[in-house]
Amino acid sequence: MSTSAHSPRQGSHCGRILVIAVHAFTQLARMKVFYFLAIFAVLAIVSNFLDWSQLAGPEAVGVNVLRTIKSTSFGAMHLFSVVLSVVATALLLPKDAEDRTLYTILAKPVPRIDYLVGKLAGVLLLVFVSLVLMDVLMTVVLQIRTMMVAAEQETMAAAMGYTPEAIASLRADTLANGSSWALQGAVFAVFLRASIMASLALLVSTFSSSTLFTTMVSFVVYFIGHFQADARDFYLQAGQAGQGGLERAITLLVALVLPDFQLFNVIDAVIEGQALPVRMLGQLTLLGLFYAVVFTLASWFIFSDKEF
Amino acid sequence: MIGPPMAETVPAVEIRNLVKDFKTSFRRQPLRAVDGVSIRIEPGEVYGLIGPNGSGKSTTMKALLGLVAPTAGACAIFGKDSLKVDSRDDVGFLPENPYFYKHLSGAETLRFYGKLCGLGGRCLQERVDELLALVDLEAARDRRLGGYSKGMLQRIGLAQALIQEPRLVILDEPTAGVDPVGSRQIRDLIFKLRERGITVFLCSHLLEQVQEVCDQVGIIFQGRMIREGRLDDLIAIEDQTEIVLRDASPGLISQITALVENTPGTTLVRTGKPRTTLERLFLREIRAEER
Repeated sequence: MSTSAHSPRQGSHCGRILVIAVHAFTQLARMKVFYFLAIFAVLAIVSNFLDWSQLAGPEAVGVNVLRTIKSTSFGAMHLFSVVLSVVATALLLPKDAEDRTLYTILAKPVPRIDYLVGKLAGVLLLVFVSLVLMDVLMTVVLQIRTMMVAAEQETMAAAMGYTPEAIASLRADTLANGSSWALQGAVFAVFLRASIMASLALLVSTFSSSTLFTTMVSFVVYFIGHFQADARDFYLQAGQAGQGGLERAITLLVALVLPDFQLFNVIDAVIEGQALPVRMLGQLTLLGLFYAVVFTLASWFIFSDKEF
Repeated sequence: MIGPPMAETVPAVEIRNLVKDFKTSFRRQPLRAVDGVSIRIEPGEVYGLIGPNGSGKSTTMKALLGLVAPTAGACAIFGKDSLKVDSRDDVGFLPENPYFYKHLSGAETLRFYGKLCGLGGRCLQERVDELLALVDLEAARDRRLGGYSKGMLQRIGLAQALIQEPRLVILDEPTAGVDPVGSRQIRDLIFKLRERGITVFLCSHLLEQVQEVCDQVGIIFQGRMIREGRLDDLIAIEDQTEIVLRDASPGLISQITALVENTPGTTLVRTGKPRTTLERLFLREIRAEER
């Protein structure tokens, strides 16, 4: 062992955050969380066989299948991303404290904000990688099926005497229901929603000592978040009508503290084949960043004074 | 004008009138875990803090590491306030019964902690190799910690504490739950640290081990420091003298006994054979069996 020729080393904040993030990602990956991708693959393939079309015209042939593939895939992405972000975040902090590994980390020259941001970044990296893998799988399945549907429609339309212009128009409509940039934007919106949930779970886990409590509270807040817009409207209307009191205070709190998860309903429109305006995606990104930063700063505020 | 103190005069550890109260759920009166404890450890010393369970040893160590905030008083490591992050540049810590990340191997664990301290590249790799050799875990370097024994976990814990070449190492019950062989290995490692001038602050229930390795000892009870000082001074019985003879004949013993009895003011307290310790006997027998 070399003697301690003293030379204090200072790692950068970014370096430490990266080390903790990569470690959290590795820790979760070694818990075999990627196994759910097999379930997703099965869902994406099974959704190919779900065609509830009852119309005889070529416009309806196969289009519902494309929507089912998108709807099933986005449903699975939504579920996996939110569950993963909440449960993984809720698991990491209490586990470190329980195993006393937190002591050894904080006994190193590691600021507590670096630890928190690193853990959050590790979870988000895991969610991001998972969503990218699911997106690739969905896009491949959708692309193949779109080509098959377009060819089938073309054959049927030609047999029914459609004009070449009508056939081209029909093909364009079908391709619009296939893979598109709007779909990629919608996947990013799913990631943003998961980011808000992960940072929310991080905040809860700083004052909770149990994974179960963190998970339950996070999901309750997630549920209430879907009524944020209603709470905001109630607050404004109640103010105009001169009503006051407790209801206004509660709705104001809900409207201010919780994100409006209804804004993410644009994903449903994308599944229906509509475009996702860049402006809307930009707004969602800003919303996601705002809440992720606010919740993380609040976590730091609590965690910086926490005793172990 | 008084200039800044020289580096040598700055104590490795300085705890001044530390008080720590914990809020309790069941009664309004807070629980006082540490009550006015002061400790000063000079660089290169091995200091042992001993006391029964719940006497405030671990809380004192946590306060020194900034893991808990003092209710009153202050802690400093090499002159730096313990509540500041930079005080941890020069300290390594092994908590009681550490688990670490079971999914990492021994080498990965050391690399993780090394990177947290700003080490990297070849420097980190050499340091990892060096420490694995020091704690005798080279053969298990790629095995996941989930498969490590208790003694191996303690040794990898000691290695991570040393990863950034700290000048102070804090060990909380370093041999708790470890068998006598593993316990002896850790004790030998503490000797090596002392030889290299590293300050060690440890707390332990195993008084015999504390006695073997420590220069200074503090006895803490119900949060208060009840006795502190150099080990030799504390355990010496000032009014007695010990003479140990080898191969002394019964005749010589009789002559010495007679001489003592004929000397006014002197009393023969005891004669007999010195005894080894149970730990030494156990280790000797184990080694004999291995051979």
